[in-house]
Amino acid sequence: MRVLVIEDEKKTASFIRKALQAEGYAVDVCHDGNEGLVAPTTTPYDAIVLDIMLPGRDGLSILRRWRQIHNRIPVLLLSARGDVIERVEGLDAGADDYLSKPFALVELVARVRALTRRGGDSKSTVLRVADLCLDTITRVVRRGELDIELTAREYRLLEFLMQSAGRLCGRMMILEKVWDYDFDPCTNLVDVYVKRLRGKIDAAFEPKLLHTVRGIGYVLRPPHA
Amino acid sequence: MTIRARMTLWYSGVLLLSTLMIGIFCFDELSERRERLVKPSKGMEEILAIVLWIGLPAILLSIGGGWWLMRKALAPVATLTEAVRSVSDRNLNQQLPRTYNRDELDQLAEVLNAMTARLNDSFTRIQDFTLHASHELKTPLTVLCGETETELRDESLNPAERERIASRLDELRRMALIVNGLTLLAKADAGLITLNLAPVRLDELVQDSFGDTQILAEASGLSVTLQKCDRTIVKADAHRLRQLLLNLADNAVKYNQPGGSIQIGLASTDRTAELTICNTGPGITANVLSRVFDRFFRGDPAHNSRVEGCGLGLSIAQWIVSAHKGSISIESVPDQVTTVTVRLPVLESQRV
Repeated sequence: MRVLVIEDEKKTASFIRKALQAEGYAVDVCHDGNEGLVAPTTTPYDAIVLDIMLPGRDGLSILRRWRQIHNRIPVLLLSARGDVIERVEGLDAGADDYLSKPFALVELVARVRALTRRGGDSKSTVLRVADLCLDTITRVVRRGELDIELTAREYRLLEFLMQSAGRLCGRMMILEKVWDYDFDPCTNLVDVYVKRLRGKIDAAFEPKLLHTVRGIGYVLRPPHA
Repeated sequence: MTIRARMTLWYSGVLLLSTLMIGIFCFDELSERRERLVKPSKGMEEILAIVLWIGLPAILLSIGGGWWLMRKALAPVATLTEAVRSVSDRNLNQQLPRTYNRDELDQLAEVLNAMTARLNDSFTRIQDFTLHASHELKTPLTVLCGETETELRDESLNPAERERIASRLDELRRMALIVNGLTLLAKADAGLITLNLAPVRLDELVQDSFGDTQILAEASGLSVTLQKCDRTIVKADAHRLRQLLLNLADNAVKYNQPGGSIQIGLASTDRTAELTICNTGPGITANVLSRVFDRFFRGDPAHNSRVEGCGLGLSIAQWIVSAHKGSISIESVPDQVTTVTVRLPVLESQRV
């Protein structure tokens, strides 16, 4: 999987590259708008991370140009302005996702992963991690032989974590998918819910499945994986 | 024409009228006497009669005329006073009404307009400064957050190092939240944010937020009750209303006391939805109450040092409410109960 990062700020481009490489992506970086515009014509990419403010040519006009010539590569827009208008403008221009600066790397990686996975995902109705299983149709959650009662919100949280099993989930991504929030509230809402969920699915069981990665986010994974 | 010239002209008119009146009466009296060839007698009575019949009406006319004159002259002052009274930081770009007749008051209005224009200019500069400052901070913050997170991903870190870096990242994220909040408010000030308005079931949002509040409050041992929740449809930006509700709920939890309680209610009429959130706690003293919506305002430093937050929550809440053409107010009885009331215009409601 090859990802193109078009970002003029060198340090930002550099840590994005490192993070994506750590996830197993091959990454090309480009610091200029005009260069970025033509880059996908010579190399096929699976996804593109595109900054809006660029020297030479701005990200939105690059994106519009690509979509005009029917280039459908998934694009994640990055913006320092980060307001609703720009988000709408970006999605209208043909972006697949949008992230405002400053962002958490874990969010960026999760979004790129979602973009490159799109389309080829076989959707099973029963999600399993070790002996924990969640039926998305009957909404029944079981660990081993025991049924677990969850509130609607806890269920959605667990469903999201199980869909991304084995991968780190940032708080912002969780807020967006589980709560439908497009802002970061100054609260510990996610931590409190994760703690409750852990109490229900992990406390009385071994091995533990739901882990906190300090400073980054949460991950639900089977032991030794 | 200046007011001085106008007043002089009008008053000479009134005086002329009075003089004419006296002249006519005198002429009338004199010609009557000449006809009857009456010799003057009973001097006092004559004088009294002349004063009563000629002098008094002339005096009354002068008084009435003067009163009318002053009222007419001062009317523009009253208009101008009303106009100046309504000037605030929100409508500095509006000009005071002018008559363009170049009199003193028109000149005063012109000077006042020039002054508000200068003030408006300064305000805009401060707004622009905040907007640019918060914007400029984003690039270095992005780099710092990104690099710190990259460091944290290093598997070979020992727990102490990991904790140190994670705690640094926490503070950086807090800074990012503050910068984002500032950007939002600066943009709102400059009128750069458009809301995504659509009919929204406010009661459903309140129910949702009630659930979250219960969970948030549980950790602090607080009880939360939903007293009333009328079915209400408002024209609103659902994301911003969620933000508002969470913001207020979070405050009610943070500024509470052990074993305290929170009461949430939504009561709607045909026109207004009234959302109230009451919480027990130390409360807010009267002198602090008027400033709680100010940016970065912290009422009691001793109390707030243990409460985390970005210091912009209520400012953002106030902006969200006013952007929806509503109002927000806080009442507090220290050490008893603090009530936040939000009123929003309603599209449709149904009492339950």
